[in-house]
Amino acid sequence: MLEGQGLATTVIGLVRLHMEKAANPRGLFVPFPLGRPLGEPGDLGFQRRVLLAALELLDRADGPVILADFPDDAPTQAGASGWRPACPLPPPVSPASPDGWEAALAAEIALVRPAWHQAQARFGRTTVGVTGLPPEAWPGFASAFFGPEHPAVPAGFVSAALALRFMADDLKAFYTEAAQATGPAPAPDQASAWLYRDTLAGRLLVALRAAALAGEDGAFKTAAGRFLVPVPFLPP
Amino acid sequence: MARTEDIPEPTRSAVLALEVAAAATRPFVPPRPLSSHRVAMITSAALIRRGDAPFPTGSAAFRVLPTGLPASEMLMSHVSINFDRIGWQHDINTIYPIDRLRELAAEGVIASVADAHYSVMGATDPRAMAETAAAMAQAMHAEGVTAVLLSPV
Repeated sequence: MLEGQGLATTVIGLVRLHMEKAANPRGLFVPFPLGRPLGEPGDLGFQRRVLLAALELLDRADGPVILADFPDDAPTQAGASGWRPACPLPPPVSPASPDGWEAALAAEIALVRPAWHQAQARFGRTTVGVTGLPPEAWPGFASAFFGPEHPAVPAGFVSAALALRFMADDLKAFYTEAAQATGPAPAPDQASAWLYRDTLAGRLLVALRAAALAGEDGAFKTAAGRFLVPVPFLPP
Repeated sequence: MARTEDIPEPTRSAVLALEVAAAATRPFVPPRPLSSHRVAMITSAALIRRGDAPFPTGSAAFRVLPTGLPASEMLMSHVSINFDRIGWQHDINTIYPIDRLRELAAEGVIASVADAHYSVMGATDPRAMAETAAAMAQAMHAEGVTAVLLSPV
């Protein structure tokens, strides 16, 4: 669409089959994990190589379809051997009541918070904040979905269930940023495995999904059924 | 890892089954030296400015990311939970290489970095985004952009 309007385009793509089908004017296939088109967080030299490989396609005349392959994997995309989170937590115990979930999550968040602040100092930012709800509001908001009436709809959202979907993103970011307060970046599956298997927050998301699927609320069923827990971490 | 065989199921099957339409025509802008290009970026990561509403599911709209927008003021609102966000948390350039692009401009490898970049929701069918593409192209032409880097997630 853009090329037809006189703009030279170049794409960094993560799925080669899609690039073959789309037949873009210029494309660079990169063999990195989904979500990492530049490959390696914090590695300026590697990112520069990827970016230059994509931009240098603009110099080529052998169009109208150019598909090139970046030759290397990202240095640490398989993950650091023996990676451990910067904020190890006691083994989680799933509560039996909504009030229990609220208290237990609040207690775990309090344990994670120092590492989260440390991570913000390290990276100069946080990716938490899509819902606008502060961390101290998450336990009550999330656990209310176990009860008969859902919480009030936060400002800017069309439903409480949709806000829950993005609160889950904030919650996950809070934990996984804290996990990176020190040390190398984990591989995607390392961080997710820790979150869903070793934290109460992960268990909460799994429990919310189960509650949504067992209920009759369509918005809750869609939001929590599809967008809280990636399939590899669903209970058997 | 995004080699097809490395994508975990069922994401792999969903990715492979995704309908991807080739453009009806094959326009190709003639090459020119990289050092002459003013470059803008389009990310499909549904990036938003902190405080703005998330992209609605299925949105064909775009958001503008001013080139000087601090990384701390950007959030991600993509609907999918099946791609990595750890790299993004660690370093914004993992998906939105604004710092690397600025460095190339400072070295003269490219002529300049655009004043505005663009964010869209990658889960939206591209065929619904013709008007969006036209609007972005118009804005890019207005500030002298000649090349666009697209970085899907």
